[in-house]
Amino acid sequence: MFEAPAGNQATLALDLRGIDKAFYGVKANDSVDFDLRWGEVHALLGENGAGKSTLCSVLAGLYRPDAGTFNYDGEPVAFRSPKDALAAGIGMVYQHFRLVPNLTVAENLALGHPGVGMRISQRALVRAANELGARYGLPVDPLARVWQLSVGEQQRVEILKLLYRDARILILDEPTAVLTPQESAGLFDTMRLMASEGKSVIFVSHKLREVKQVSDRVTVLRDGRRVGDVVTADAELRDLARMMVGRDLELPSRGEVAPPGEPVLTVRDLRVDGDRGIEAVRGVSFDVHHGEILGIAGVSGNGQRELAYGIVGLRRPSGGTVVLDGEDLTRAGVRERSRRGIAYVPQSRLGMGLAPGLTTDDNLALKSFRDPPFCRGPLLSVGAFREQAAELIERYDIRGVRPGLPIRLLSGGNLQKALIAREVSQHHLVLIARSPTRGLDVGATQAVRKLLLAERAAGTGVLLISEDLDELLALADRMLVLYEGAVVGEVTAEEATAERLGLLMAGHRDEVGA
Amino acid sequence: MRVGRWHVEPRGLASTRVTLLVPLLSVFSALVVGALFLALTGNNPWNVYTKMIDAAFGSSRSVSETLVSATPLILTGVAAAIAFKMLVWNIGGEGQLLMGAIFAAGAGIALGDGTPAIVALPAVVLAGAVGGALWASISAVPRVLLGTNEIITTLMLNFIALNLMNYLVLGSFSPWRDPNATQFPQGRPIPAAGRLPEFFHRLDWGIFIAVAVAIVAWFLVGKTRWGFEVRVVGDSADTARYAGITVPRKIMSVFLLSGAAAGLAGALLVAGVLGKMDPRSLDLGLGFTGIIVAALARLNPLAVVPVGVLMGALNNSGPALQSIQVPSATVTMLQGAILIFAVAGEFFIANRVRRRPPAIPTATVQEDAA
Repeated sequence: MFEAPAGNQATLALDLRGIDKAFYGVKANDSVDFDLRWGEVHALLGENGAGKSTLCSVLAGLYRPDAGTFNYDGEPVAFRSPKDALAAGIGMVYQHFRLVPNLTVAENLALGHPGVGMRISQRALVRAANELGARYGLPVDPLARVWQLSVGEQQRVEILKLLYRDARILILDEPTAVLTPQESAGLFDTMRLMASEGKSVIFVSHKLREVKQVSDRVTVLRDGRRVGDVVTADAELRDLARMMVGRDLELPSRGEVAPPGEPVLTVRDLRVDGDRGIEAVRGVSFDVHHGEILGIAGVSGNGQRELAYGIVGLRRPSGGTVVLDGEDLTRAGVRERSRRGIAYVPQSRLGMGLAPGLTTDDNLALKSFRDPPFCRGPLLSVGAFREQAAELIERYDIRGVRPGLPIRLLSGGNLQKALIAREVSQHHLVLIARSPTRGLDVGATQAVRKLLLAERAAGTGVLLISEDLDELLALADRMLVLYEGAVVGEVTAEEATAERLGLLMAGHRDEVGA
Repeated sequence: MRVGRWHVEPRGLASTRVTLLVPLLSVFSALVVGALFLALTGNNPWNVYTKMIDAAFGSSRSVSETLVSATPLILTGVAAAIAFKMLVWNIGGEGQLLMGAIFAAGAGIALGDGTPAIVALPAVVLAGAVGGALWASISAVPRVLLGTNEIITTLMLNFIALNLMNYLVLGSFSPWRDPNATQFPQGRPIPAAGRLPEFFHRLDWGIFIAVAVAIVAWFLVGKTRWGFEVRVVGDSADTARYAGITVPRKIMSVFLLSGAAAGLAGALLVAGVLGKMDPRSLDLGLGFTGIIVAALARLNPLAVVPVGVLMGALNNSGPALQSIQVPSATVTMLQGAILIFAVAGEFFIANRVRRRPPAIPTATVQEDAA
């Protein structure tokens, strides 16, 4: 069998008491206790901003806590840097990978390794990578350059790096966010295997199903504090949700599938180039009907952005047509399409949907400022800006607005509410929304979903482009799966499952349903 | 972030009190550093400063001179402020000012003596604005069409404008050169009809034009549809594109207006105190000082006016220092110090710095408790 368990079974792998960490006077971790046993997969569950990433960064030596005690394998330690932590056997896979794209997998393994001197033995590295990969179910070509790898493969390289450094505790920060369901299942097998050898794995997530599926124990954080820890087998999903959110969790969903109305947006054989001039959308066709939510599923980077740009006019399609309510808008610009009734909620709120440094009043008028009453001739009417803002803030329950202050000071949920409020308060026939609840907490997700469903009820054709399968399954009447710029399958709400969508997202043509 | 016992927190949005107080403290700190320097070089700082204040504001004549110096600085300050606000890095105010002077003098000389003031004066002044805008367009067009770096192009065009001006008067017998100057080459005086009337010692109407331009710039940016679009582009170009704003057109118009303001500064000098295109009196780095003015005014066109007057006072007090054996370069040094402190002051406008209460231990990890 494999070598002996990595740590001393009698002691706790990690034992943290009363960890405080504040940023700018805001406590990201408030007296948090955390303990980790050898040989377990321990999930760290919490909403965005609950303090998960901060706690992990403390564990990995990236942050030093303001107060608290930190025992590692029974001994008090104070890491000064991630290097210290890694030398002691604690390593982390960050959400944004720390790999050198132009180097090979083997070379990335060697980087920063204390055992690697001036001369690098490529052959020994390749052998080590192959051995570790085979042993832990992390297949990857050691001689491939990192930029050639898929996101899932790059993540494997990150884990191999830690294993090659003999890490005994592996922290994985939201590792499944970039994976298809099938890739996630493979990762879970690897995690279980590492735990069976006595290593400990900390799995950070806010996805309840995955936590339930893979972990032995769960520590739940909320608002920077520890809510409690439970043995996974003893906890129901509903209990975990309540611990995470602090109340019973009820996300609105579609309900009955809509009877299809008349088509309002017709896209035929649309072709749009990506940033590097390579075709990113390759002949996509679909109709969005009045009163339906059409979902576009797919792993990030399969042409979602270019599809949205092609429809709203931010990028001129290289082929195909976009027809709104019988009118061909393929040649029209952004402004014209918006005027005709294409509303758009981009993925990046502060990068595109809103002007971060301008006030809320200004931002809510971003689409309407050219027309009366906001403009009289060339002059702005500040009063009209303020009136419209007051009305939308009231109607859409946008909180935290202070007059004269830039909108970027609002929370993510309120930013998104403001953005959607602006889009749906103009004349519009269709609403294109990209990952509208990404990064939002449960309360805000609830509000945004309600807004989308209200649009559907009002007869708007909604195109929901999202990487969040749960969201698509809950909201969309039907779904198309985008893979490498083409539609590889269409699934109705009744026949959709995460597994089936996952297969399509990985590029397997639909042979299941037909 | 924290440094020892000091805690730094972002303010979100600074109060008016802070935004006014910090620049004043910046100037004050620069004066303190300047005083140290003066003391170390064997001068009495108090004497030097009182002499400077006296030279800048001590009499009606010196007040007039201060405002004369301030006029071009207000305009080059507005030029830099509106461009920088939009993230258009036009540092070619210097060259645009010189081009404005060349065009203004050229218009005056071309119209000749017979033209009535009602035609000649507007022609001279507007020619300067057009000259500045044209010079800016040489950088603006490639920036908009090809994405060239305007910092480099505007900077290099400064030298071309300077050499062109020198060539027209010092290096050739162009119409700009005074044929009657026997000793040293000089600019040809423009006709009296093209001159701005003086009303307070040497101070002429140019100061009103400069202040009016500052007010108009403030109004355009803050109160018009065009200005709203400009603010969106300056804040986030992607957001502007998303909102259907034609970004290149906005960049172009801001760039040209910036150039026009700087060109106007050159025109007002030619039509005002100088009366001709005099290379030695124009090559003073007024365009560059305008960048300092804009920075100190935090890119607010209205604040450019008082800051321009302050800088004008400093410039004006330089020569007076020589009478007490202090090099007039001291003034340049003080201007530099003010800029450095103003930039540092931005940090204090954006952040609040507090002393941590000593009760909280600074140790990162306590190892005593179980």
